[in-house]
Amino acid sequence: MLGRGLKRKLSDYEENMAGLSSAFDSSRSLPYPLKRQLVLNMCLTKLQTYKMLVEPNLHRSVLIANTVRQIQEEMRQESNQQPVNICPGIAPASHSYTGMESPGISLQLPSGIGQQESHCCDLRSVEDPIENSLLIVSDDDMSSAISSILKDLDFVEDISPPTCLVPTGDDQPKFPENTGLKLEDDRQDLKGAECVFGSFEISNSTSYLKDLAIDDIFEDIDTSMYDSDFCCPPLTPPRSPSLATEEPLKTFPSCNSSSANNIQICRTDLSELDHIMEILVGS
Amino acid sequence: DIISTVEFNYTGDLLATGDKGGRVVIFQRERETKSRPLSRGEYDVYSTFQSHEPEFDYLKSLEIEEKINKIRWLPQQNAAHFLLSTNDKTIKLWKISKRDKRAEGYNLKDEDGRLREPFRVTELRVPTLKPMDLMVEASPRRIFANAHTYHINSISVNSDYATYLSADDLRINLWHLEVTNRSFSILLKLVIDVKFSNTENVGSCKSWRWFHVELCVLSAVFEEPEDPSSRSFFSEIISSISDVKFSHGGRYMMTRDYLSVKVWDLNMEKRPVETYQVHEYLRSKLCSLYENDCIFDKFECCWNGEDSTIMTGSYNNFFRTFERNTHRDTTLEASRESSKPRAILKPRKVCTTGKRKKDEITVDSLDFNKKILHTAWHPTENIIAVAATNNLYLFQEKIN
Repeated sequence: MLGRGLKRKLSDYEENMAGLSSAFDSSRSLPYPLKRQLVLNMCLTKLQTYKMLVEPNLHRSVLIANTVRQIQEEMRQESNQQPVNICPGIAPASHSYTGMESPGISLQLPSGIGQQESHCCDLRSVEDPIENSLLIVSDDDMSSAISSILKDLDFVEDISPPTCLVPTGDDQPKFPENTGLKLEDDRQDLKGAECVFGSFEISNSTSYLKDLAIDDIFEDIDTSMYDSDFCCPPLTPPRSPSLATEEPLKTFPSCNSSSANNIQICRTDLSELDHIMEILVGS
Repeated sequence: DIISTVEFNYTGDLLATGDKGGRVVIFQRERETKSRPLSRGEYDVYSTFQSHEPEFDYLKSLEIEEKINKIRWLPQQNAAHFLLSTNDKTIKLWKISKRDKRAEGYNLKDEDGRLREPFRVTELRVPTLKPMDLMVEASPRRIFANAHTYHINSISVNSDYATYLSADDLRINLWHLEVTNRSFSILLKLVIDVKFSNTENVGSCKSWRWFHVELCVLSAVFEEPEDPSSRSFFSEIISSISDVKFSHGGRYMMTRDYLSVKVWDLNMEKRPVETYQVHEYLRSKLCSLYENDCIFDKFECCWNGEDSTIMTGSYNNFFRTFERNTHRDTTLEASRESSKPRAILKPRKVCTTGKRKKDEITVDSLDFNKKILHTAWHPTENIIAVAATNNLYLFQEKIN
C-alpha cells in the first residue's frame, strides 16, 4: 500500500491516500497517532489543492479547517504532557485556545461568529477519556512514525527526525490578540514548525479564516444599501497585513484572493473603483 | 446534465428541476382523460429555459457557476406561474406563461420583426390577435444580484407573496419581490437552510423581526448532546446538517446530517423525538469517504403530505423512506434496470454482516458516484420525484 520512491506525482499520492484511508477504516491495529497524522495530511491536501476556478465552498473549508485545528490542538496538548520542554517563554493551554473572548482583540466579529468558533473550540477541548488513555506513545515512536509517513508520501521536502514535537510557536499567530508579536518571532517559529509538520502554514490560515475572513471579504463589497440599521456590529478595519498574510496567501485560496484584493482595492483610485462598481452593478 | 434541485409547486401539478448547466425544466401533470382513465396523471415536459449563465467575478478572479442551487415556486395568483431560481450569487424571478395568440399587423415593424421604412407606412392599422400554437414562455421578471458574498444555499418565500429570504453560509437577506436594488441583511453563523414557517402568517410588516423566521444554523439551538464514546476525527463533519424541512403541520422539524435523519419537536430543543439511521454502515468508512469528499455530500430530506413518512437519499442510487407510525423503513433504488414503467419497485438491502444473502449489496460494492441528493414529495399525493445524477425518476403509489 505504501510504496517506496523518491518523487511522487499527485496521482500517486492520491492512490496512496486511498490505500491509507481504507487501511484507516478497516484496520483496528493502526496506532492512533498514525491515524491522526493521516487525517491531518488529508485535510492539508484538501485545503491546498482545492481547484481555484470556482470559489470554494465556505462550509466545506470551515469543516476541514476545524478538523485540522482539532488535530493540532490534540497534538499540542500531548506535547504539553511530555516531559521534554520545547520553546521557552510560551505557555499555551487548552483553554486559551478560545481566544475570541480575550481582551485586546482588534477585531469585532458579529457575535454569532464568535459563538460558533468558541463552540467549535469547546467541542474539541472536551477530552475523550478513551482516546487519552491510548496516548501512551513515546516521543520517539511518534516522531519516527510521523516522519516515516511523511517521507513516504513526500509531503514535506526536507524532513529530519524531530526531537521535539509541536513547537508552541505554532500557536502564536492563531491568537488575534497577540498583535504585539514581533514579525521575527513569527518567522522563526514558522521555520521550526515547518520542519516538523508542514502544517504551520495551515494553522496560520485557519486563524486567518476564523478572524479575518468575514471582515476582509466584506470590505470590498459596498453593502451600505443592503445593510439595515439594526444589523451587525461595526466591522473594524483589517489588521496590519504583515501579521498573517504571507503564508496563507499560498495555502488558503479562498482567503487568498480576498485579502489580496482588499489590499489592491485600498490602493486603487476612486475612478477605478467607480469603474469596478459599474461592472458589478451592471453585470 | 446533473440535476441539482427538484421542487413541486403548491398544488403538485408542476414539478421544476434545475441542473448544473443553469437550465430549468418544468414538468406538468397531465390531466386524466376519458380515453385513459387508468393513467394517474403522468408528468410531461411543460417548459424548458436557460435560467442562469456562467459568470466571471472580476474582483476575485473566480468563475461563478451557473448551477441552480434552489428553485422555489410562488403561490399562484393568476394564469401565469412564477418561480424563483438561484445559483451561487444571483436570484431570478421567472414568469412562465402560456401564449396561444400573437399580434399581427404592427405598423412600425414587419412580421419578421424588422423595422419598416418610415416612408412606407402609409396608413395606420390596429394590430389584431391571431391564434397560434400553444407555447409556454418563460421570461425573467426580476434579477436580484450582488447581495451575497458566499454561495446562496437556500431561498424561502413568505406567505405574504411579497417578500422572500435568501441565505448563504453567513448572511440572510430579506427581499421584496418588487425591489431588486435593496435588501435587508443579517449576518449569522453558518446558515444551512432558511425557511419561513408555514403555520404563522404574520402579515406584511416590513421589519424582519416580525416575520416568524425559522433558521437552522450550524451549532443550532436544536442540538443533541454529543455521545463522547462515538467521537472521531469526523464527528463534526458528519453531524453538520445538510437539510432542514418543516413538517406540513408545522409542529415538527426534520434535519438531515450525513448518517441520519432526526425529527424534532419544535417545542423541545434538547433532543430529537425520532432518529432514523440512513446508512449507518458507512460509519466505519468515514476516512475513505472523507478522502474522496463524499463526506461533504449534502443530502436533502422531505416529508409526505401527511407528515407520516419521510424520505431521503443515499448512495448507489438508493433512497430510503421511513414510516413514522409503524417504524417501517424501505430502501429503494432509482435506476433504469430496476424501474420499468408500471413495475413495482423491489426493496433493496445493504448487507452489513459477513454473510451476504441473495440480492443484497455489500457496502464495498456500493457506487458512491451514484448519489441521490435531491428528492421531493408531492404536497398531497404519494408521488415522489427522485433525482439520480442526470436522471429524474417519478414514482407513485400503486393503487389496486
